[in-house]
Amino acid sequence: MLSKSQARAFFLGGTGLFTAAFLTLTIDTHRRIPARTHSDAITPEVVRGKRIWESNNCMGCHTLFGEGAYYAPELTKSVERRGKAFLRIFLKDPQVLYPGQRKMVKYDFTAEQIEDVIAFLDWCGKVDLNGFPAPPPLGKTVVPVAVQQRAVVPAGVEVPALFAEKTCLACHSLLGKGTPNVMLPSTTGELVAVPSLDEVYLRKTREELVTWITDPQKIKPGTPMPTLVPAVVSPAEVQQIVDFLMGLNPAARPANSPKPN
Amino acid sequence: MKFKTQKIAYWFFASAMLLLTLQILYGFIMGFARIGWDGLHDWIPFNTARATHTNLLVVWLLAGFMGSAYYIIPEEANRELEWPRLAWVQLISLLVVGVIAIVCYHMNIWEGRKFLEIPRPLDYLVVVNVLMFLANIGVTLWRGSQHTTTSIVLYMGLLFAALLYLPGMLTLDNQTLDSFYRWWVVHLWVEGVWELIMGGILCFLLIKLTGVDREVVEKWLYIIVGLTFLSGILGTGHHYYYIGTPKYWLIVGGIFSSLEPLAFLGMAVYAVAMARKGGRKHPNRIALTWSLGCAIMSFVGAGFLGIAHTIPQVNLYTHGTLITAMHGHLAFWGAYAMIVLAMIAYTLPQLTGRKLWDTAMANWAFWTSNIGMVGMTGALAVAGITQVSLERRLGLDFLAVQKEIEMHFVGMLLAGALFTVGIGLFIVNFFRHGLPSDEAVGADVAGDAAWAGAK
Repeated sequence: MLSKSQARAFFLGGTGLFTAAFLTLTIDTHRRIPARTHSDAITPEVVRGKRIWESNNCMGCHTLFGEGAYYAPELTKSVERRGKAFLRIFLKDPQVLYPGQRKMVKYDFTAEQIEDVIAFLDWCGKVDLNGFPAPPPLGKTVVPVAVQQRAVVPAGVEVPALFAEKTCLACHSLLGKGTPNVMLPSTTGELVAVPSLDEVYLRKTREELVTWITDPQKIKPGTPMPTLVPAVVSPAEVQQIVDFLMGLNPAARPANSPKPN
Repeated sequence: MKFKTQKIAYWFFASAMLLLTLQILYGFIMGFARIGWDGLHDWIPFNTARATHTNLLVVWLLAGFMGSAYYIIPEEANRELEWPRLAWVQLISLLVVGVIAIVCYHMNIWEGRKFLEIPRPLDYLVVVNVLMFLANIGVTLWRGSQHTTTSIVLYMGLLFAALLYLPGMLTLDNQTLDSFYRWWVVHLWVEGVWELIMGGILCFLLIKLTGVDREVVEKWLYIIVGLTFLSGILGTGHHYYYIGTPKYWLIVGGIFSSLEPLAFLGMAVYAVAMARKGGRKHPNRIALTWSLGCAIMSFVGAGFLGIAHTIPQVNLYTHGTLITAMHGHLAFWGAYAMIVLAMIAYTLPQLTGRKLWDTAMANWAFWTSNIGMVGMTGALAVAGITQVSLERRLGLDFLAVQKEIEMHFVGMLLAGALFTVGIGLFIVNFFRHGLPSDEAVGADVAGDAAWAGAK
């Protein structure tokens, strides 16, 4: 049987060997990281954003590269997923977009700090993470076929900035864009399906839509739909959004406009 | 105990009990926040509660390791501790740094990297503190009349834990590199050098409690810690799958972290085999129960639940979910909390001269806390699996999924309450022993000598 000195040799030899292997891989990893992470794109803004990220311990609730706590969403692809406009509104006052839900501290960031944080998250989203976060493999099976086959926005219809920048489409879907089948908890706790906006012109009148967007809580107390007027969205923008949604109705368009395919 | 200066261990253990109590309190704050009862949000937001919870864990375990070293090193080196007053200074400064860090968290002052949240200036104080500790036990060991394998393995574990703290103090602008070196501290501590510390303490306890020949126990200690490093060093790769590091880490991390349970299995088999080989039973049964419990639960929590999600194909979906929290709870409890509690159970009668080792309360403390912790792990496992299925596999919204799994946190809180009862009993039993006493020096309180003679 093994003697004590042989056991010690096994320990010291094994440790030495695997430490050497680990250090060799570390050196190689160092050589490859700049290209994999686009380190030349680390601007002073990104660095400032990283410091803000750390000095508020964002990892104490969120994850980034899948690392952190599990109380708040993973943020690696947040710029790609939500768009910068959404993040600007969110970082200014987190509870505006998620009324009555799990709270984030309101940090009172300056506009410049918000841009720095977004620059940092944007850079993070472009790092080669070997396929993380993976697209949900079963996700396709629950997207209704109708949504997948939707046409794009008809030509000649002007898309308001709030839609183009994905703000509304962070929760809603429209003509195959945005986020299909979102369920959000209401303030009373039950899950509410966020409706598609495709044929909203059939369900609502112009006036109903304006009232709904302006003060959703008045119509459906507890709804997860955020109250964005007037802090984030001006009454003029509400009109633009409603014009746009009602304008999707083929019946409302001039006869010679191109049909959606 | 053999030497007067070993008494300092008591105060480290008592501090550990206080910090553990606070850790549990912050755990409840998070548990309640998760079921929507977040009334403390304005004063203690989740990130503060979370950092306080994990940092208190690290500090009470370190206090436990240090107390263990202050007890073991003089006994193994066969002399008094070199500078007993310095040990006091070190304990008080450790607690002061800990309190300042926690106050900082409540004022939103952070270094803010997972597990390394303490503000940078405090890092330097930690370094000074640890240097005081290492110098004290190092000189004691050096000047001692014997240099046993147990004491050297324990010392090396503590020394390398200190050295590996340093890469965590680099300031890096690239998040990938930042994370890369952060794991040198976190992973190489808990799946590397802390296992040396755990192995050293377990070895000491097995020699004392089973009566198996020191040469045999220490020979197997080398094999176990050898297996730990063989798998654990390159096993760091399981943290390098998805953070921007090269793809070969998927293979390296996958293979070597699959070997990690072997080291823990080895530890469990080793402890049980030594206990059976010992034949005669030491009167301090509860200390042996905690020691064997530690070896077995560390295999279940760190080994088995670890491999359950370190395979890269699985980890792609479980990375950054509650599955990690599930593994974390049982791993830290089994491997590190239980070894400190085992050491406390063994040393308290030695330090105080009171033989409260086989009371009903001591046994209830063991079983209630363990069943509570297994229950908490189970609740987190169900929550984690549901989160992975709904969010990562089906693609549902994060907050919607969190609502779906809220009920499992009610289960977690109930199991946590059971755990708290167990820890409460342990602490009551701790203080029933009274204070350490010089009269216990040289006295055969634990029955070590009488028992060794009769063997």
